[in-house]
Amino acid sequence: MQFYQLETTLILQQHLARRFQIYQRIDDLEGDGHWQLAAADPLTTISEDLPISSPKGLFFGDRENLFSFDGNVFRETIPSPAPFALFGVQSCDLTAIAYQDKFFVDDPYYQARRQQALLIGIDCLNPCEHGFCHRVDAGPGVATDCADMILHRQPSGNWLLLVSSDKGEEALRGLTLPAADSNALTERKNQLDHCVQQFDDSPTIDQGIEILMSHNIDDRFWQQAGIQCLSCSGCTSLCPTCSCYGTHDIADDKGNIVQQRFWDSCLYESFQREASQHNPSAQAGTRLQRFWTHKFSPQTTAQFGRHGCVGCGRCEQTCPGVIGAHSIMKRLVADQENRDLC
Amino acid sequence: MATHSISTICPYCGVGCGINLLVDGNTAVGVEPQPCHPISRGQLCAKGWSTAYGIDIGDRISKPLLRDQHGFHETSWDNALNIITEKLTTIIAESGADALGVISSARATNEDNYAAQKLARAVFKTNNVDHCARICHSPTVAGLKMTLGSGAMTNSAEDIFSADVIMVIGADPTENHSIIGGHIMRAQLQGAKLIVIDPRKSRLAKLANIHLQLKAGSNIALINAMLEEIISHQWHDQDFIQHRCEGFDELAAAVSGSLVTAPIATGVDSALICAAAKAYSQANNAMILYGMGVTQYVSGTFNVISLSNLALTCGQIGRPGTGINPLRGQNNVQGACDMGCLPNVYPGYQAVDDSDTHHKFSAAWGTELSNKKGLTSLGMTTAAMEGSFHGLILFGEDPVVTDPDQNHVRAALQKLDLLVVAELTMTETAKLADVVLPAASFAEKDGTFTNCERRVQHLQQALSPTGETRADWRWLAAIAERLGSDQLNWDSTEEIFNEMAALTPIYSGMSYHQLDQKHGLQWPCNEQHPLGTAILHRDKFATSSGKAQLIGVHPIATDETADDQYPLILTTNRLHFHYGCGSMTRKSPLLERETPAGILFINPQDAKQKNIHHLDPVGVRSRRGYLETRAMYTEDVPPGLVSMPYHFREAPSNQLTNAAQDPISKMPELKACAVAVTALEPGCLPRDMDTLRGVQ
Amino acid sequence: MLTLTPLPIELLSYDDDSKDSRHFSFRLLDPDAMMMPEPGQFFMLHIPGIGAAPFTFSTAPDKKGHFRALIKRMGAVTHALFDCQPGTILGARGPFGKAWPIEQLSGQRILMIAGGCGLAPLVSLIETLLKKKNVQHLALLYGAANASTQLFNPERQRWQQQMAVYNVLEDHSSADPKAQSILTGTPVDVLDSVLEQLDQFPTAVLLCGPEIMMQKVAQQFTSLGLPATSIWLSIERRMHCAVGLCGHCYLQHNYACKDGPTYRWDQFQRLSSTLSAPTNAIASCY
Repeated sequence: MQFYQLETTLILQQHLARRFQIYQRIDDLEGDGHWQLAAADPLTTISEDLPISSPKGLFFGDRENLFSFDGNVFRETIPSPAPFALFGVQSCDLTAIAYQDKFFVDDPYYQARRQQALLIGIDCLNPCEHGFCHRVDAGPGVATDCADMILHRQPSGNWLLLVSSDKGEEALRGLTLPAADSNALTERKNQLDHCVQQFDDSPTIDQGIEILMSHNIDDRFWQQAGIQCLSCSGCTSLCPTCSCYGTHDIADDKGNIVQQRFWDSCLYESFQREASQHNPSAQAGTRLQRFWTHKFSPQTTAQFGRHGCVGCGRCEQTCPGVIGAHSIMKRLVADQENRDLC
Repeated sequence: MATHSISTICPYCGVGCGINLLVDGNTAVGVEPQPCHPISRGQLCAKGWSTAYGIDIGDRISKPLLRDQHGFHETSWDNALNIITEKLTTIIAESGADALGVISSARATNEDNYAAQKLARAVFKTNNVDHCARICHSPTVAGLKMTLGSGAMTNSAEDIFSADVIMVIGADPTENHSIIGGHIMRAQLQGAKLIVIDPRKSRLAKLANIHLQLKAGSNIALINAMLEEIISHQWHDQDFIQHRCEGFDELAAAVSGSLVTAPIATGVDSALICAAAKAYSQANNAMILYGMGVTQYVSGTFNVISLSNLALTCGQIGRPGTGINPLRGQNNVQGACDMGCLPNVYPGYQAVDDSDTHHKFSAAWGTELSNKKGLTSLGMTTAAMEGSFHGLILFGEDPVVTDPDQNHVRAALQKLDLLVVAELTMTETAKLADVVLPAASFAEKDGTFTNCERRVQHLQQALSPTGETRADWRWLAAIAERLGSDQLNWDSTEEIFNEMAALTPIYSGMSYHQLDQKHGLQWPCNEQHPLGTAILHRDKFATSSGKAQLIGVHPIATDETADDQYPLILTTNRLHFHYGCGSMTRKSPLLERETPAGILFINPQDAKQKNIHHLDPVGVRSRRGYLETRAMYTEDVPPGLVSMPYHFREAPSNQLTNAAQDPISKMPELKACAVAVTALEPGCLPRDMDTLRGVQ
Repeated sequence: MLTLTPLPIELLSYDDDSKDSRHFSFRLLDPDAMMMPEPGQFFMLHIPGIGAAPFTFSTAPDKKGHFRALIKRMGAVTHALFDCQPGTILGARGPFGKAWPIEQLSGQRILMIAGGCGLAPLVSLIETLLKKKNVQHLALLYGAANASTQLFNPERQRWQQQMAVYNVLEDHSSADPKAQSILTGTPVDVLDSVLEQLDQFPTAVLLCGPEIMMQKVAQQFTSLGLPATSIWLSIERRMHCAVGLCGHCYLQHNYACKDGPTYRWDQFQRLSSTLSAPTNAIASCY
């Protein structure tokens, strides 16, 4: 692995912009950030804060045409994007991309985009408002197997650049950068450890996860919590590991029929409703239970090597019903304590 | 993937959440919530999340349409405007200006609405202007004007977090106003006590500390009983009453005897009524939030007055965490009212028949205006049937689906000589128009919306208008111009806003620049309150005396009660995932999939008596009409009550509802009518409205 | 890499079986393009412009690519299918899912219990087993609402020659007198008396039909001492992708399109949510 020193990330952005379309978090007037195609000129420096949405939509498209039908022939419509770089992805979102890489390993649409992508991660040095990445092995520092390059802001204001894949090395070709100092890595580790220390040290999340993993929660808990679920789909839209989709057929402007897939949510009442009206998850409590045990269960860990949750905290912010990750964990722990008392 | 993100305001309900439209080129491809928005704080409801589908150009009307015997055919704007203005001129010449009317849209911007009433008043010379507030909060406007001097939400959404007791009556804020519903759930988790008064077990009722499951229409009996309990225990705020109210003694006399009759009148146990009375009156801060379950009755205005009596008697107003808070339904119904799209007031609730106001507006607009109060929307349909009303311009409304007694509405609209409808898509009402004009969606124009807490927010245009669609103020201006008037001669929405603000005291301190700085401003915003007003009536009320009026009211029976022929009471409700007539939300494949198999919610006890099983096809009949749907077993409605959402044109609840009106506000009694439910042949498909009407 | 794009098929013909059920004959335009399905597997049928849904193969595609499916008219996809004329080009993808465990059924005394159109996923299994010789005992208990909704009449008559077929109807009137042993009620109602009529207690039970029926029957068998590992069922779920991506057919972390639709009863019990109500016959009004 190579390590370099940068005074500013712009050098790297400009170099990459010659071969890749650059996507970055771009802040609006409110200071909220969105993943967008960065203007070629001028490139803005990157932000370390979590954007409202993860870059999930750049690989698992929120609307994607799957195939078209002209009356006789079905034609697959795989996208062919130009090479692009995601500049400045936080650890939680990179962990989620790695998770979705496994889930969508055989999906040609996802892979067509994914193969064209270069991932440049950025370490977080301060906890974000709702994040708990450190409790689910998803941050705050970027893991080397989740990104092609990793940027780390040093106390001096300079940047440490780690190149963590062949793709990353290849992308740097033609750019000469000074090597990083020999103690830069130690400094990085210290800064990341310091960041972890700054998170709230309440054990609630760990305890909540343990309760979920033990499958020891009764119906009554989920039925009661389920009343608060509006099925707004906020959590599943913003969750970087969620992958459910629906399909519908639409007409294109050439008179063909196109099957399109679009982000769906297992929290909708009709998600499993069949034409016969049979619905195994008609109750909100059932859907809620499945959502959380899909994020945290021994089976998920066995399949993916980690939890389905990356601790980004977006569900907590966006849930009007007060049943996002933090709220659910708090509730699970309180419920367990009440039961222990009885 | 989106190329950029535009900050705007959600077009659905009155919460006015901040929303980012994700745009690719000139197409909305998705949305994001706004963490920095003071109310929505990074949240959206299912409707908000579906916004991109709602404005999808797929089935948008993109050119003007003319109807002839074969149906609709496209035409040019030029031709459409000529036809419209010719007919308008003829109607005015033959029948006078009062044979015309404008129904504006509570979903369109303040600028669109200001333009609409100015067209009617300054160009046509009539006060026949109205909009759907008639059928939602007209009793609020009328009732609170009488008691407090002003008809708007007294507090703000964030007051929910300062309330110790939250009383939700006749409202279902987790389904519509979902983000405010979420605030209420959060406040309860943080320790607030929740009292819900509703004939159905709504979601909040299931979470409530106290649920008063009263009989539909017995609001006054219940509130009077609570008042009697409060007064008898001396729990009322005597200091507040003495200094800030008038009429207490009459009120005390009016409620005397209500508690003993309440259990029969309301169906609620006295112990529960007393518990609610104690909790509300003794709370440090108690907040009332209410909706259609209070207003949509023949006693609607009195119901509102009754709530006002409760809040005033307990001094629960004029401070944080308190107040009387009508949940204005649409994204801009507050604004449409503020803009004077009402037959009796100009912008800012200045009366048309007040001579000073009449002079002010006549001078400002440079023309002599009518000082005769105009017709309400329901008045217009009645006058159309009677033959004295001939021309209507209507935009962003679907009264055939959303107004009561739709057969009557349909007949009235068909009788008109001219019906012009401006819309995004071909709604049931648009199908009856002589001319359909293509309207721009909220994303295709800029302007301002005023949410339920009086917050005026500035929208940013995200897309250029599709096809030949135009913002409403623009085609309204084009009509004025064709008629030879320069009254609507503006170049920008900002010009309209500034003109309006100069004439509207409660908006006088606002400008686009300031709105943009601060996520909007709450009126009144003027010299005394340059940063707007979060809480009304802090020091004095807006009545002429400065004191609030306590007005004793007595229970008024609903127009229809259950009888042998129509043994069940039908009420209406909203579902979380659909909005209004469904013209936008039903374009989302996800929300449309959420539509249940049937929409008659019925208690299993009532259903079994008629041999109706869950999901069986049923016919529902009232004195007005008939429809078919499927029965949905639920314990959420008590025996004797059935409920239907009104979003679905194929089984429109307004086929059945009663247009009997509250005499003061002309509000129709949408919340209660008598119906008969019968099982259809098992296995047969319920017939939709088009089939039943013989249209195919 | 997966493909989500259908193969073109032609609708050849159809014949009605009961009021709302039809046998459809399809032809794969390229007979070699689809792998041979095993009994219990399914295919996704695409009606362009409408959507897609899963259906079981009644017969596997032959050399000419012809195959049949019994389809009941139920929702948007099937309504559109019933309006299609022979010659229409539609789409098919498959075969998907786990088949019935034929190897494990070898040497067993098998009782199959089917309700309504739950018989369809068992048809190709029965035909396959009847051709093998090492099946000791094969019996079918088939329940339907009434005679007009009974399916696969010619097949059941033919099967009667080689195996016991018990037909049970909820509404007995207008039953076909030629059919063997018509009982009254539901499969759950008559199970005990059918078991008495069998030579010996079954060692393997296969279930297919409404989930409530399958659950009740399975519970009855386990209470009679049959291990949960000797009971299999085939379930239905809403499906879009059929390859374990779209998520709709989940059973906890498992997907019915890949890990099912046939399940062993003990596995299914572990995957069933404890929260599913025995009936979904109560809604909320929001």
